[in-house]
Amino acid sequence: MLVLGMLLFAVAGCKHGSGDKPLITEGERLATKGEGAVPACASCHGEKGEGNGAAGFPRLAGLNKDYLAKQLQDMAREKPPEGVVMEPVARDYSKTPRVNSDLTAFSPGLRHSPVMSPLARGLSEQQINAVSAYYASLSFTAKPLPADFQTLERGADLALRGKPEYGLPACISCHAPNGEGFGADFPPLAGQPPKYLIDQIDKWQTGERDNDPLALMKAVANQLTDADKINVAAYFANRTLVVKGQ
Amino acid sequence: MRGRKWVVTLLLLGAGLLGAWAMADSQQKQPVDGSMSMDDLPELDTLETHVSMQAPKETLPNELTVVPVVSPGEYHVPPPIEDIPESKYGDMVNFGRNIFINTQKYAKRYVGNGLNCANCHLQEGRKPFAAPLWAAYPMYPMYREKSHQVVTFQERLQDCFKYSLNGIAPTLDSDEIKALTVYAQWLSTDIPNGTIVAGRGFARIDKSHDPSPFNGKVIYQQYCAMCHGEDMLGKKFADRPGYMFPPLAGADSYNKGAGMHKIKTCASFVKANMPLGRPYTLTDDQALEVCVHIWQQDRPWNPKKSMFMNMFMPVTEG
Repeated sequence: MLVLGMLLFAVAGCKHGSGDKPLITEGERLATKGEGAVPACASCHGEKGEGNGAAGFPRLAGLNKDYLAKQLQDMAREKPPEGVVMEPVARDYSKTPRVNSDLTAFSPGLRHSPVMSPLARGLSEQQINAVSAYYASLSFTAKPLPADFQTLERGADLALRGKPEYGLPACISCHAPNGEGFGADFPPLAGQPPKYLIDQIDKWQTGERDNDPLALMKAVANQLTDADKINVAAYFANRTLVVKGQ
Repeated sequence: MRGRKWVVTLLLLGAGLLGAWAMADSQQKQPVDGSMSMDDLPELDTLETHVSMQAPKETLPNELTVVPVVSPGEYHVPPPIEDIPESKYGDMVNFGRNIFINTQKYAKRYVGNGLNCANCHLQEGRKPFAAPLWAAYPMYPMYREKSHQVVTFQERLQDCFKYSLNGIAPTLDSDEIKALTVYAQWLSTDIPNGTIVAGRGFARIDKSHDPSPFNGKVIYQQYCAMCHGEDMLGKKFADRPGYMFPPLAGADSYNKGAGMHKIKTCASFVKANMPLGRPYTLTDDQALEVCVHIWQQDRPWNPKKSMFMNMFMPVTEG
């Protein structure tokens, strides 16, 4: 029994080690050199995936693998015609049989971007996984951006406490106490260019981005004012952050 | 025609005269019946009238907390943390706040599970309808159905440690209880004592049918499992101890004596606060159903039940 268990462990270990390495090297090739019509990711997202603060291109280094893959898949998805509502799960249970395997809510999600959507469409599923695995494996150390005291104070108030009287939760209640992100559903806010964060909240408000689980971020973004966005983005850009690659 | 008009006017005149006579009669009679006239009553100084006296409480407190809409400006806004004074009092407020948002670190020895105060009292105890401290503090001492006696705020805090945090109650003179009380008092700045304010406790729940745990499981998987996990055991940080999303069941959750173990309390919390950021998305019945599902899971015993049960039974009932 013990020997069998150890053998299983060894096999599992081998699989894990040999399964990820080629994927990462393939992702690295794609990210640094590009392929066919798809240019190198590094040309916009930085040599080490650190992003571009001035242009608002996000950091990719050290992000969750599944999160990155989902974003690319959502960007590749065609925009449905106007007025089409996509329901993740049928609301009227009387019309559909309820089977436990059907219960997980999966939102197909849309993330339209004039630059990224055509590029994401050019990637195969294998390439999406490869490039996500590569960027998830990179380490990252944030360079805190200075901001004035009042902006930081207001940003901190919103990030740590939200607006309880408006029913707006704090950023850290989902994006982890230091804004480092949690799991595949909650991306990091710390270490992201402020322009990127503000752009994304704008896109949620206009409906260009609609790929968050349970539409949680949509509900939150719709309550943020322009000043809130600036303050909170400045606060998270001011955080220190060290991420080890997975 | 003319004759009839005359009759009507005469009748009206007669009625008016009768009424005037009756009023004059009653006014004359009043001083005879009562010994005091209106002029003898002492005048109330409007400035000194207490807020809670202006609106007399005629109904039970739980019937007054029926405001299931989020309308800003209606709820008390506690002072910002930058306004904590730099004094011994301010230090106590800070200590209380630290305990409140990070109970696992600052009151570790009193806590028997993986929860923090702010896991239920959301946003540092500030959020309306998430049992905000600023609404609770002015109501104590009060009679509690649970213990059938009048309890002070400090004794109420002890119950939180015993049941919701599944631990040991700090003594009434401990620094922890003192600090938490001071923090609650500071949050309720400007609320007069004994006032029932909007946003107190949780939202009100009405049920239309008996809740079904089977529907509850569906709702749980759709709305809750993403954060609290398929197994309800919460989600832990990968790189440090503690929970990112609190466990709703299992050994690290609240015990069976906690208020959250009551289906109605749980549902009124869920309705007003969950999923986080989208409150009031579940209907009352859905909230009750998901709470029945949560109620069915394993969790530590009620410490009131028996010492032997707690010593010799497994941590959870399973």
